[in-house]
Amino acid sequence: MHKPAGLSLLLRDSRSSASFQSHGSRLRSSQSSTLQTQLSVFQSLLLQFSKTHAKDIRSHPEFRTEFARMCQALGVDPLASTGSKKGSSLWAEMLGEEVGGWYFGVAVRVVEVCRATRGENGGLISVAEVTARLNSAKGQGEMVTEDDVLRAVGSLKPLGEGFRTLELGRLMMIRSVPKELGGDQRVVMEAIQVLGFVTHSMLLDNLRWDEARVKTVIDDLLSDSLVWVDEQAQETEYWTPAFISKT
Amino acid sequence: MADFQYPALYSFPPFFTRQPNATTWSTQQSAWSALILAYCERHRLFKFSVGHELFTNTELSRRLPTPAAIEVMEAMVKQGKAEWIGPEKQEILVYWKTPRDWANAVYDWIDTTGQKGGVLTLYEIAWGQLTASTEFHGLDETVLRRALDVLVERGVAKIFGSGDELGVKFF
Repeated sequence: MHKPAGLSLLLRDSRSSASFQSHGSRLRSSQSSTLQTQLSVFQSLLLQFSKTHAKDIRSHPEFRTEFARMCQALGVDPLASTGSKKGSSLWAEMLGEEVGGWYFGVAVRVVEVCRATRGENGGLISVAEVTARLNSAKGQGEMVTEDDVLRAVGSLKPLGEGFRTLELGRLMMIRSVPKELGGDQRVVMEAIQVLGFVTHSMLLDNLRWDEARVKTVIDDLLSDSLVWVDEQAQETEYWTPAFISKT
Repeated sequence: MADFQYPALYSFPPFFTRQPNATTWSTQQSAWSALILAYCERHRLFKFSVGHELFTNTELSRRLPTPAAIEVMEAMVKQGKAEWIGPEKQEILVYWKTPRDWANAVYDWIDTTGQKGGVLTLYEIAWGQLTASTEFHGLDETVLRRALDVLVERGVAKIFGSGDELGVKFF
């Protein structure tokens, strides 16, 4: 048997794939409308739930984390409603004041901690440290979790790039100045996170960078106040208060 | 007195090296100043010298070098939180409460105990039985003198006598 000629093969292929496509999209649309229905049922149940448990959501950190996770899974952002104006969903009215407002309060306190420690850490602090500081401040409301802090920082997004979270090594960090960490800076900060501090020779040996590159990145970190010098060690050491954690 | 709460920075080795970055140094300097004030208040110290053990962390084998320590103390003096004792600049009077605060405390006590118009010696104010329960009992003599100067300036006290026999009259 001859193979079909090139052109007709193309034609037949495109015809059958078109019919597959239309069948697929029919399936998808029927499935998605079913899902849509289910989702809105979930959402209304969630709303019901949040009405009943607004108090628990605010006062129990674990309960709150689970609730937030549920919201996220269902595509509902309890925080998005905070700043929105009239006419927005029921969520805005319900959660805007209840849960969203609570997160906003946390955000304000996170901003305060970041400001207060900026001179010390150059505007880079671990979420764990912020959480510890918030919980050690007396008489300042309920206990918060790292999850709350992350969400709270997320709620600041509409205010611009001033506050961001970023992953550094195995830690979540909050960056409270609008300045990116360079690639080399990141590498060194991660090394400090793991080792506690770094020295010129540690960087030379482990990263196989040349002297000039090491000097440049260290000088940059110093001038951004991200690292501190310890000159009383055998070889000058560079530390960062971003990972100081009170235990 | 072992329960003094050192700040986290105190276990951070670079805290004992003067930071070359101006911004970081200014933060470091305020942290030192806050630490000295809190430490002195906790231990009721009125004088603090450049050789004080607080500048040394034996656990870390680190010591804030003397020039940096003097810079910290100089900054405290500039901010009215301390005063140099003598021109050698080796020791400060530490104002965890300012002379004005002490002046108010003394004058409140004079007022509430109805001693206006009376005369007291400096020794009676700092060490007398009558003041045993007040917060200024045991106050350093020079600091007390600064406090009384504040009251003199306000026109509510007058100092007379000389040497060890200084007396104050309150109005």
